Amino acid sequence: MSLRIAAVGDVHLGADVGGRYRSHLTGIEEKADVLLLAGDLTRHGTLEEGEVVVQEFRDLPIPVVAVLGNHDHHSDKPAEIAAMLRDAGIMVLHDDSVVIDINGTRLGVVGGKGFGGGFAGKCASEFGEPEIKAFVNHTKRIADRWRVALKELEADKRVVLSHYSPVNDTLAGEPPEIYPFLGSYLLAEAIDAEGADLILHGHAHMGTEKGITSAGIRVRNVALPVLGRAYGVYCLNGEGGC
Amino acid sequence: MEAPQYVAARVQGALAEDDRTHELGIRVDVRGDQLFLRGQVGCQERRTLIADVAAEAAPGLTIHNELSVVDIREPEEEETL
Repeated sequence: MSLRIAAVGDVHLGADVGGRYRSHLTGIEEKADVLLLAGDLTRHGTLEEGEVVVQEFRDLPIPVVAVLGNHDHHSDKPAEIAAMLRDAGIMVLHDDSVVIDINGTRLGVVGGKGFGGGFAGKCASEFGEPEIKAFVNHTKRIADRWRVALKELEADKRVVLSHYSPVNDTLAGEPPEIYPFLGSYLLAEAIDAEGADLILHGHAHMGTEKGITSAGIRVRNVALPVLGRAYGVYCLNGEGGC
Repeated sequence: MEAPQYVAARVQGALAEDDRTHELGIRVDVRGDQLFLRGQVGCQERRTLIADVAAEAAPGLTIHNELSVVDIREPEEEETL
């Protein structure tokens, strides 16, 4: 049984664009089995913007799974926004997993915000001032939690949903100087160790859609400005197509 | 005269931190007394606000608002992996 995964990130909703994105979700159940949201759902992370997100994505005919992004943390209300989304039936991952039964196939989704630090050979280390150590340690702890979540995941298909990027392939087009703020190889290292069928992320608005990890797992940057379309649809186990 | 790199950095900082914008992905270039804004934003109102914040952060410069509004196309055929 194949699975059709719809995904988009960085919709950056606010009252000024409320209702505009929803119109593109009409008929999504004919194109996809599940919708994954890769963070930066708001601009400033306010509760008012969170309510716009709720109205935009609630009551869809397919399951919706989301992670938050750095913008959703700006007003220090990520837990409140996550609770609002959950109350509206949207699953929100915070370095944990969910398994969804889709026509008898178990889709496992592991994920969270992710974080930065850079990519192998050009990255920060847990050394020196406490501020640098804290920065790198934040990513390490997230990667460790994803590794555990993937190890314990019992599913037929495995997707990782992140906001920050685990590879630099999908950052092509961004200034290389800011790569350490766009993602970290530690995320990919953890995922490669445990295995997944697909990794989805956002955050890099000027990046490119398609990349792979060192172990050959496909990575897709689904930031809205990168896709240029309402959402991407990725078919897993598509022998004979979806 | 302030170096153009510092002016551009100050404008980028203002665009990221100002409550009216919070835009991180805007490219800002200063050439003489001209300031160029490039990138994509979600709607026309945000495009105008970004130019307003940039003008406040770099008074005296002529603002060239070359930002475009993201055009959301309908989804295409799925990609089979």
